[in-house]
Amino acid sequence: MRRSLRFRLAVSVVAVVAAALVALSLVLHAVFARALVRQFDARLLGDAVAIAGMAEEDMHAPEFEAESLPEFERPVRPAYFEAWLDDGRVLARSPSLNAADLRRTAPGAGVDVILPDGRAGRAIHVRQPLRVEDEPGPPRVSKQFVTVAVARGTEEVAGTLASVRLWMLALALLTLFGASAAALVAVSLGLRSTRALAVEIADLDAARLDRALVAHGLPDEIGPVVAKINELLARVRESLAREKRFTADVSHELRTPLAALRTTLDVTASRERSPAEYRAAIDQVNVVTQQMQALCENLLSLARLDAGPVAVRPTDVALRALVQSCWHLFEGGARARGLRFENDVDADARVATDPDQLRVIVSNLLSNATAYTASGGTIRARGNGDRLEVHDSGPPIPPEVLPHIFERFFRGDAMRSDGVHCGIGLALVRGVADALGLRVAAENTADGGVAFTVSLR
Amino acid sequence: MRVLVVEDYEPLARSLAQGLREAAYAVDVTGDGAAALELARTNAYDALVLDLMVPKLDGLSVLRRLRADGSRAGVLIITARDQVPDRVGALDLGADDYLVKPFAFEELLARLRAVIRRRYGAAENLVRVGDLELDGAARTVKRGGRAIALSAREFALLEYLALRRGQVVTRTEIWEHVYDFAAEPSSNVVDVYVGYLRRKLGDGEGGAARLIQTHRGLGYALEAPEPT
Repeated sequence: MRRSLRFRLAVSVVAVVAAALVALSLVLHAVFARALVRQFDARLLGDAVAIAGMAEEDMHAPEFEAESLPEFERPVRPAYFEAWLDDGRVLARSPSLNAADLRRTAPGAGVDVILPDGRAGRAIHVRQPLRVEDEPGPPRVSKQFVTVAVARGTEEVAGTLASVRLWMLALALLTLFGASAAALVAVSLGLRSTRALAVEIADLDAARLDRALVAHGLPDEIGPVVAKINELLARVRESLAREKRFTADVSHELRTPLAALRTTLDVTASRERSPAEYRAAIDQVNVVTQQMQALCENLLSLARLDAGPVAVRPTDVALRALVQSCWHLFEGGARARGLRFENDVDADARVATDPDQLRVIVSNLLSNATAYTASGGTIRARGNGDRLEVHDSGPPIPPEVLPHIFERFFRGDAMRSDGVHCGIGLALVRGVADALGLRVAAENTADGGVAFTVSLR
Repeated sequence: MRVLVVEDYEPLARSLAQGLREAAYAVDVTGDGAAALELARTNAYDALVLDLMVPKLDGLSVLRRLRADGSRAGVLIITARDQVPDRVGALDLGADDYLVKPFAFEELLARLRAVIRRRYGAAENLVRVGDLELDGAARTVKRGGRAIALSAREFALLEYLALRRGQVVTRTEIWEHVYDFAAEPSSNVVDVYVGYLRRKLGDGEGGAARLIQTHRGLGYALEAPEPT
């Protein structure tokens, strides 16, 4: 679940939306609070100016014409004011003030204070000249100043702000929930088509790999995945087809010599024969059996190569003797086709390598030469401690075939059915050479022949 | 009966040829499809034993082109491919029968006999002409109930005449269907063998009817004489 797309999307949506909402709420709250406080201060100022207007200079003596100010008189959550002259003489004070004194609050346009009854509030100071009441003569400005301090509880502001916060929280939660739900639904809808894809994939088996997946109705994001799966399917198909062809080839390569064995034995046993005829039959069975054995060994070596790293046990190998012992396998077949063999490997040539693996390489090169060299030709092995060359008198390998000659299951001709040439031998040569860290190459030589070279260092 | 063996695996081709010759067939062998097509076009083979996977031209192509040429030679496919589509494909292209390698040689002989028999419109291996009885499967010949030992070539000659009984068969036809490339051509080899055969059958001797008729200037015919 943790790895699910929906979970991850929900988490990121919640995180991002929450961060945005918190920032927005902070800003909004600050703006609101500021506006409310300004409004509150404006009201305080209005009160203060109105109260200051009650103080007047009558015959040069200040006096306060108190009017009924119910807000300042009520016993519960009252407002407070105090008016005083510059000399500190208190001109008037609200009944709610009792013994408290507002003169000590900080003067200013609006400051937070603790009210005498312990509530939180704001206070404001206003200082202005006393009003001059109904005097004859030109109007004059009083030289005496009255200062009025007004303080009120800010419960209303706090209450408004609290309800704003509550609404914001509710809206934020609603938004968060809505956004995540919308994201989840969108993803679920988008992913629903992947379930169809999963069914399609589950439907695939080895027998039905020829179908490609259809990306019908899938979100664009899944398209590349489907394309890649289809590419993978194509590769698997190709490899399966190759395996199938290989199995068919192997079956052919084993059935054909088996048919020869059976026919030879059937025909030979069908009547009494001379010792020479029996001898010929036995020789033929021998040749076929050896070819089948070589094929089986090649198949096994190939399977081992495919199974994993080949165990290489290097020893000091006498090259000439190894070539000679490999040739024994093909001597009979070569003689039957009138092929000559010359072992011109240096007598003192020695190589530090795995003799069994090198034997696979040399045997298959000699087998290949025996099979493909035109009748009456010559096969020559040359070599020293650095390289080994198996040269035959041709015909040359067609140029279009040459680059592919070491590829597995590649056949130069439509089919060779001599039991060992179904595109395994030379592929095996290259595989084993790779395992030993050697290089093999094939080229047509100037004299019309073919040279297979193994670099031994 | 003359057969072309198309098989590129030498040991198998060699044994097939030996076995078929010993079964009184005239046998030619080739290892590649192109040569097979050429040989089949220029010689009157009664049947081809055709491997599908041969170099140069694969067996199915050989078969297709032969049938396109109108050849009616019997074709027995021998192949390592054992899948049903392979068999169906080959039979649909005009092959007469299909054998999967490896096979018992006896079975190949039996199927080959059937293929050739069908070609000559015969339903069974036993041919009777007058008091002569020829069993193609057992390769035995009886006249008046008495078994007669024949050489492979003599048997082949008699079998060919028997399959075409009642018809005049030319010397050229006999040469084409009873002799392979290994035979030395000579002007009267057919006449000589007909002579051997007549002697062994006691044809027209000691009161026996003459079954192998000579049609001067034309050839020979195997038929029971009209009752007189």
